[in-house]
Amino acid sequence: MEAAIVLKGVTKAFGRTKAVENLDLTMPGGGLYGFIGPNGAGKTTSIRMIMSILFPDSGELSVLGYKSAMEAKDRIGYLPEERGLYRKMHVGAFLSYMGKLKGVADSGLQKRVETALESVGLGGTARKRCEELSKGMMQKVQFLAATIHKPDLLILDEPFSGLDPVSSRLLRELVLAEHKRGAAILFSTHVMQHAEEICDNVIMIHQGRKVLDERINTIRRQYDPRRIQFDPLDAGADISPLRGLPDVERIDFSEGSYEILLREGADPANAMSRIVQTVTPARIEVSRPQLEDVFIKLVSGGEYSSESLEQLRAGLTDNTAKAAAI
Amino acid sequence: MKRVLLVAVREFVVTVSNRAFIVGLLVMPVLIATFAVLGPRLFNFRDFKVEGDVRIIDPTGLVVPQLRTALDARRISARRAEVTQRALQNAPPVVRDLAGNRGSQAIQTALGPVPELRLEELPRNADIQKEKTWLLENDEEHKHIALIAIHPNAVLPAAGELEYGTYDLFVPANLDDRSDTEIQQSLREALISARGEAQSLNRERINAIIQVPRIRSVTVTAGDERQTVRGFNIALPVSVAALLFIGVMTGGQALLTSTVEEKSNRVIEVLLSAVSPMELMAGKLIGQMAVSLLVLALYIAMGLTVLTSLSMFGLFNPWLILYVLIFFIIMYLVFGSLMMAVGAAVNEMREAQGLMMPLMLILMIPWILWMPISRNPNSLSSIGLSFLPPVNTFAMLLRMASNAPPPWWQVWLSIAIGVGSAIGAIWFAAKVFRIGLLMYGKPPNFATLIRWARSA
Repeated sequence: MEAAIVLKGVTKAFGRTKAVENLDLTMPGGGLYGFIGPNGAGKTTSIRMIMSILFPDSGELSVLGYKSAMEAKDRIGYLPEERGLYRKMHVGAFLSYMGKLKGVADSGLQKRVETALESVGLGGTARKRCEELSKGMMQKVQFLAATIHKPDLLILDEPFSGLDPVSSRLLRELVLAEHKRGAAILFSTHVMQHAEEICDNVIMIHQGRKVLDERINTIRRQYDPRRIQFDPLDAGADISPLRGLPDVERIDFSEGSYEILLREGADPANAMSRIVQTVTPARIEVSRPQLEDVFIKLVSGGEYSSESLEQLRAGLTDNTAKAAAI
Repeated sequence: MKRVLLVAVREFVVTVSNRAFIVGLLVMPVLIATFAVLGPRLFNFRDFKVEGDVRIIDPTGLVVPQLRTALDARRISARRAEVTQRALQNAPPVVRDLAGNRGSQAIQTALGPVPELRLEELPRNADIQKEKTWLLENDEEHKHIALIAIHPNAVLPAAGELEYGTYDLFVPANLDDRSDTEIQQSLREALISARGEAQSLNRERINAIIQVPRIRSVTVTAGDERQTVRGFNIALPVSVAALLFIGVMTGGQALLTSTVEEKSNRVIEVLLSAVSPMELMAGKLIGQMAVSLLVLALYIAMGLTVLTSLSMFGLFNPWLILYVLIFFIIMYLVFGSLMMAVGAAVNEMREAQGLMMPLMLILMIPWILWMPISRNPNSLSSIGLSFLPPVNTFAMLLRMASNAPPPWWQVWLSIAIGVGSAIGAIWFAAKVFRIGLLMYGKPPNFATLIRWARSA
């Protein structure tokens, strides 16, 4: 299948600051890729270069087989991080305008707009001014504006930013529906959890450089679990014998549960067997590696202080979602 | 190109269907019409009547009888009739025809009721200082409005002198200037009559001698000749320059506000996913240029209607319209693109003020230079300015509309320079536009804009 996006050695600097450095990326057609990294990592700059809104200082790129997205704009949908609407324009007129700009023929455009609005529960709003919509409704209209022309490639820059959990879920469904339709999707996020939930592949970027480009399953396999969640059957049981086991490096206790960190290279199956024999468990399970942990591991490399790593971890967490959950 | 047209059509439709635009377009003609119709009623000059008591000290004894005659209601009416006649003689033929007798009456009516001044002669040796206190006395029934002291040599010069004396006029505070004028006009007439009689000259004879009616010159053109309309050569250049200014301001201001709005609404990057920055800029420029051309067409049509109805169309060179349009497009592209660049660089309208100031000052320059260029269209400075962008368009149009138009090669050289400056302005604006659209935060200054243009 034709590659949706190919970047080779792309570099972009603003003054003395290198926003993106020597970035290689290949995204196949029909893929669902997460482009992840903390704020300021270079995600938006990379996406703007893919969209030909910015141009690289060096390197090559192709989008849907073209040298520039300019030549394939009608086949690309784009939802930028900073997105808005013409507030005074009618919803239907706005979507029609965006459709026409994206090369949709006049015949059937009206019907397509109405169908699209109905599909997201906004039937009957075509004659309303955009400013009359609630924030959630506006976000749906913005998504429709990016997809009204049924693009082959959909690029979403921080699509979940600022959304409440309900809107987040709805957007996730809409993104998956577009993927099911056959569109290749690249979406950027600084919240690792979103990428874990949706993507087949992730590309991690940090300080303008790619640090990982892998399938999610491979990452989970490759970054082998070294953490085991353990609750003893007897809450008052003495767990100190576990510390003497050869595979165990450290045991932490938090939120009423023990987390056992295995030594590098230890076999989790053997370790779990020994743990069960030593202290009878109520629950024992291997922790799935979080992308957040993988990212931290990849970028730390001993260069970061514990304080810096904590800040980095905070930047990769969906604080909004946490606040909403609380 | 299709995307450019789509953006242009949207810009045009959104602007012309905006209530503020429609109101703005109609407001000027409506204001003029309203003032013309309601003005005379709101500011009713006809209710005012010059009346009151006037005291005079006349050591010659020759002025008072003449002044009584001059203040006579019939004499004042006759004097006014002469003024009216002169005013109508200077008006275009169509105005004279339309006015006819009714016009004469209308002017008489507008001048207000005939003054009613009662003259009281004081003894020749009256004390002026003492009589001045009379002006301060408050008499509701007989208002004290003036004290006149005729100089002893006002009618006959002193022995050995050639020059005549005059008079002193004392009035109370807050006297209406129309009363003052009426008294002085009557005194002038009285003194001339008195001096004439003192020389045994008949007043009618004097009037006949000094009467040289002002005639209207004849303008000779290649096609025909017609009576000169005074003021046309001044009004035409300023009207043409005003058209240019209105067109540029209408389009430029709309470009600035719509760009700032799109940026602050965060809709700009959504648009950039569908069109390139160049396509967006071109579409906006074309759309707003169409709006400005619509406005210009309306004003030009109104102007031509007025000229035709006043039978003055023949004084106007229709080719000037073509040149107005050419210079408008050049001027619009220069200022429109720069104003759009400013709009792209800032986050909100308030921040645009600082960057707009130099542009507005440049637009004001032609108004400062209007009179010197119109009066001396072929002076060195006028010629120089008509080749100096970005004011060359205004300066050249002023020269072309003057009574001594420049040679054609100068016109086309100015157009070529204008096209060059428009290309330069669009080049600069496009670079600023492309970078500025995605820049948020601290508003840039001119140095930053230049840096963007160089780095883009």
